Amino acid sequence: MLAFVQWLQATAFFTAFRGSWYVYPIVMSTHLAAIALFGGMILMVDMRILGLAMKKRPIADLIDQLRAPKQVGFIILVTCGFLMFGSKAEEYYYNIFFRMKMLLLVLVFIHAMVFRSSVYGNAAALDKAPRVPAVAKLAAGLSFCIWLCLVICGRGIGYIEPPLDKIHARVNGHPAAVVADATTPRVDQTP
Amino acid sequence: MIIENPLNASPLVFPVLEVFHIAGFALSIGTIALVDFRLLGFGMRHETAAELVSDLHLWTLSGIVLMIFTGLLMFSSDPDMYYLNTAFNIKMTLLVLGIIFNYTIHRKTIKEGAPPGKNKMIALISLALWVGVVFCGIFIAFIGDGIPRE
Repeated sequence: MLAFVQWLQATAFFTAFRGSWYVYPIVMSTHLAAIALFGGMILMVDMRILGLAMKKRPIADLIDQLRAPKQVGFIILVTCGFLMFGSKAEEYYYNIFFRMKMLLLVLVFIHAMVFRSSVYGNAAALDKAPRVPAVAKLAAGLSFCIWLCLVICGRGIGYIEPPLDKIHARVNGHPAAVVADATTPRVDQTP
Repeated sequence: MIIENPLNASPLVFPVLEVFHIAGFALSIGTIALVDFRLLGFGMRHETAAELVSDLHLWTLSGIVLMIFTGLLMFSSDPDMYYLNTAFNIKMTLLVLGIIFNYTIHRKTIKEGAPPGKNKMIALISLALWVGVVFCGIFIAFIGDGIPRE
């Protein structure tokens, strides 16, 4: 895995990516803009199931009509996320918030699988039931928590800078040599 | 006499504010975008744009309040830097335009109903303003003192 991340960030594409001061912020802005444009959809579906918002509309209206747009948003988010990761993959690899964020992404998939048949693929039945079933509320509550944690970890990534020099030195046993072997010069990125 | 801003006492404050700021704009811009996507013919097509606005306007307002409140607190942590920051100044301009646009032309057009062409134009202007706000927000941190790093 370590070899992979080192190879990834050394590719010509990501080396060029790092060489520019504005490409990284543009990708990051796109990532955040996708949160702005599509995050509201996730929030509204969760809050509708919990009975907090859009109560005049059937649950199925939200779940079914927003499925495709949410998927588009997710693809934009993941693409931008991968580009940011690739530009300094080794740093991200050691970053605890990044690791937690990847675990949370796995949880997003597990969540979708677990609740597909009972909730998200079964939206019409939720409206017919006299009360919104507990399993649907559980799904909505968990979804909200997972996405909140994703935002928290995403923000956290920028606040940690793993000491790559020291890590390299420990691995190679030649502190001086490693410090001198500067990795590709990169723009100092503020969180 | 210099009064230290208590917000700068802990390194945790700023990231926590950022998380609430993001939640705030996901709520405000997200709900506005739901309406704009509807005007463009995507998403919640079973509902009219006017119905969506009446369902969502309180959530939009809550999100705007949350993002402005957390934004002001973040601004207070380093006002001089923000004041001199070009991205911040453009962001504030776009934000004011976005809010005014949302509560005047955007709202009025949807309420009165308009031909599809005008609806689409309104939606695109709205989306462009809000996406611009987000972009400038990110660039604040990268421009910092106004000298791009090269």
